Amino acid sequence: MSRFRKLAALAAGCALLAVNAPAADAASGSATTTPIKHFIYLMQGARSFDDYFGSYPGADGFPAGECQKVGSGSGCVRPHSLDGQSAGLAGIDGPLIAHEVDGGRMDGFVSAFAQQDRSGQTAMGYYNGAELPTDWAAAGQYVLFDQFYSDDEFGTTANRADWVAAADPDGNRVPTGGYDELPTIFDRLQAAGVSWKFYVQDYNPKNTGLAAGKNADDQAARVPLLDYARFLDDPELRGHIEDLSQYYADLADGTLPAVAYVASSGEDEQSAHSIAAGQRLIQTMVNQLMVSRYWDSSALLWSYDQSGGWFDQEAPPKTAAGTLGLRVPAVLVSAYAKQGSIDATLSDPESALRFIEQNWGLAPLTARDADANSLTGAFDFAAAPRPARLLPGPATASAIATVAAADPRTGKAVALYAVLVAGCVVLLAVAAAATLRRNRSLAEPAGRS
Amino acid sequence: MTPSTRANWVLRIAEPETHAPVVTTRTAFTRSAAGRLLPPSAVLALAAYLRFRQLTAVGFNSDEAVYTGSAQALAGHRALESMFPIFRAHPILVQLIIAQALRISDTDWSARAVTAGFGVLAVWLTYLLGARLYGRAAGLAAAGLLAVMPYHVLVSRQVLLDGPMTCFGVLSLYCVVRAVDDAPRRWIAAAGAALGLAALSKETAVVLAGGLFVFGVVAATGRLRPRHLPIGLGVFLVVFSAYPLGVKLAGASSTGQNFLLWQLLRRANHPLWFYFTTLPSAIGPAVLLLAALALITQRSRLGWRERLLVCWTVVPALFFTFWPVKGYQYLLPVAPALTVLAAVPIARLWNTRHGVLPRRLERLPLSRGVRGALLPVAAPLLALGVMATLFVPTWQQTSPSTSTAFLAGTGGLPGGRAAGQWIAGHIPEGAQLLGGGPSIANVLEYYGDHPVGALSVSTDPRDRNPVYHPVPNPDLAVRAGEYQYLVWDSFTAARTPYFAAELRRLVDRYHGVAVYTGTVPVSTAIGAAPVPVIIIYEVHP
Repeated sequence: MSRFRKLAALAAGCALLAVNAPAADAASGSATTTPIKHFIYLMQGARSFDDYFGSYPGADGFPAGECQKVGSGSGCVRPHSLDGQSAGLAGIDGPLIAHEVDGGRMDGFVSAFAQQDRSGQTAMGYYNGAELPTDWAAAGQYVLFDQFYSDDEFGTTANRADWVAAADPDGNRVPTGGYDELPTIFDRLQAAGVSWKFYVQDYNPKNTGLAAGKNADDQAARVPLLDYARFLDDPELRGHIEDLSQYYADLADGTLPAVAYVASSGEDEQSAHSIAAGQRLIQTMVNQLMVSRYWDSSALLWSYDQSGGWFDQEAPPKTAAGTLGLRVPAVLVSAYAKQGSIDATLSDPESALRFIEQNWGLAPLTARDADANSLTGAFDFAAAPRPARLLPGPATASAIATVAAADPRTGKAVALYAVLVAGCVVLLAVAAAATLRRNRSLAEPAGRS
Repeated sequence: MTPSTRANWVLRIAEPETHAPVVTTRTAFTRSAAGRLLPPSAVLALAAYLRFRQLTAVGFNSDEAVYTGSAQALAGHRALESMFPIFRAHPILVQLIIAQALRISDTDWSARAVTAGFGVLAVWLTYLLGARLYGRAAGLAAAGLLAVMPYHVLVSRQVLLDGPMTCFGVLSLYCVVRAVDDAPRRWIAAAGAALGLAALSKETAVVLAGGLFVFGVVAATGRLRPRHLPIGLGVFLVVFSAYPLGVKLAGASSTGQNFLLWQLLRRANHPLWFYFTTLPSAIGPAVLLLAALALITQRSRLGWRERLLVCWTVVPALFFTFWPVKGYQYLLPVAPALTVLAAVPIARLWNTRHGVLPRRLERLPLSRGVRGALLPVAAPLLALGVMATLFVPTWQQTSPSTSTAFLAGTGGLPGGRAAGQWIAGHIPEGAQLLGGGPSIANVLEYYGDHPVGALSVSTDPRDRNPVYHPVPNPDLAVRAGEYQYLVWDSFTAARTPYFAAELRRLVDRYHGVAVYTGTVPVSTAIGAAPVPVIIIYEVHP
């Protein structure tokens, strides 16, 4: 290498290092009562617990002999795997869910559809680890909640309002003029000087609830802050709502806030087609957190906002603050999360609010979060933080065909080699021995003479 | 063995000869036990020293990582099994032997010691071959040259299949020589077995069989007749059948077939004259000159010995010159034959030590005194001189390099082992990395226990090793969270600047943060300075 090239390489190397040196971790919040300094909560679309984890070993899954009657006749539909099927449920509304729940008897999941002259077979379908590699792997390594309920039986708007405010004053509709003064957890955080952000996948700042009207399917339904005048009008508050890409940038730059809520969009797993994409989204979010500097001081929870018409065996429980919705999947990942634990504590999105309030010393928003069980029981803060173990996602490429050493087929191949090598050794030894004998016999007369 | 027996051995090889081989004249010292054992022992000690000296000063290169990875899989290392399939591209005899060594001690040294041991064994077999063909002085000179030859030392210090293949190849050559004058059926069967073992080490040894076949057909001599060849060929085929049968038994036929197709259809990786420009310095110009001298001086009287060695050398040289895929180490099996040829003039010179010059040199104007003083030391001086010309580059090349680049097959990948070990200790389980090329990917996978993709792996099946996975859309793959780390390395940057630039673009686009920088010290105008050779970036989509 010439002197010039060496110097150029040195300069280039130094430049590479200088440009990409790690940034200092930004101060992200005030003191906490636990080692969790960053809490992230991703809300996905509509799925019931049994739809995703009904067949999960050890969880409170399908009861033996479960079979939902089709109608007044004798036929019934058992839970069945949706392996490889692109199955979805359309036309789900409040009355249909109420028919499914049937006053807590949970026996109308097929008949509700039959009453509308539709097949309810699909509602009894479920997925397993092959379709849900990320959810199932996370459940196996961290904490799966099998008594986690949505706040309302039906409605994205209602459930998402409860998600941030522990209240849905107008049910599944946004009050005229927005939620106005309904306090949210972000108001509490803002007042306490704790950093926070609301990340929105494919965020469109122009699409707000107050601007778009009452379309429950639009971005504002998924992001309740966009239904608040103050979060839209106050640049300081509005600046906290950012595109999901900023989450990854914050991880890289060391600017992850103390509390972050995330609303997905096309990858919310609500449709059959988006399940793989949703699993990949969760995988990416979790894995990126794991490889960042924040792993040892963070927790990431994801849950699903409602059942979406899918079967679940558990009747919505009654609490002091009212009746909850149906059971939904929820998984917690953290360096402090109990390993491979199934948490049977009665939980709901307010449990996350309760944890945030306890961790950062905030006042509860309503009776719902004040009475909710916190997530604290899912952690083991006495133990040292566990090293990260990244989650798998849906396969994107065919794996190399490998044959294990312990595979009997490998054993046969190795035995064949051994036999033939031994044969070679014998042949070489026989040739050498014969020559040696011959030479000895030739040498003997000479020796005698 | 009694002295008279040894005399018989030396005499017998002259039986089928059209002209006398080098005649050995013996002194009291050479007849003594010390005289018989010390010189070859010294050569073997030198060979062992050079092959085992600072054996793990540098980490594995890409090929070594692949072969040791397969051996680790055979030894039961489950984490490496998916990254280094047992049945990949070559037969698995060497990997099986290395696997046993790794079971005893799971270190880089264990794996390299196996191939280095085969290297020393090859030197000993070369001594036997040379002694058998041209007498002990020739055997000693040939072994001495091979012991210090950069080509053989460098390759046999690495976990490559070519070292063991060469060792079995020399054994096969020795058996053929024995077949010429002694029990041809038994020895030709043994030659077939040895060649079979060479082919089970690496399938390219089939080309060596071609060389022996050419010799057998055109130059069979002594007791060896063309009718004996089918015996050796049959044994060879039976032994070699373990390769395809093993693959079939293991249910990995498609992998083998894909690799064969790729090898047959892939583009040339080096120019036609690659070996003629690369190998002379590695084998040693003096060795080549002496070998040529041996052939030229006997051009009108070439015997079966020279024909055998020429067939052994020329057939593979021609084959791999025209074969599109070339590797630095592919022609290693010809090295022992070349040293035996190169030893012939040295042995002839040794036989003049009592002042008796060959007839054609009688007219040289040398006084009796000069003859008396010069001739006894001429051969040792020549041998040691040639060895010195080989020893110096060997010493330099086996010392840890400060270069940031290398030719595949010649040494370790700069900084690869340290980076891999850092990955193993610092990167979360399940994380995936994306590097510039498969060379760095293999090394990091081996030491890091994490899958590493490679940008430069072609999406066209004809242009890529079938065991590598392409990354058709790296941008999407990073954005989708498939890779959490990107790896820049100086080796790939020097070989494929395009992919280094592409990697740099991904680093910039996805908020790359350097989390590891591996450097090597390089001398500059301002003194020794660390130059980055491997940088690992954490990326976020």
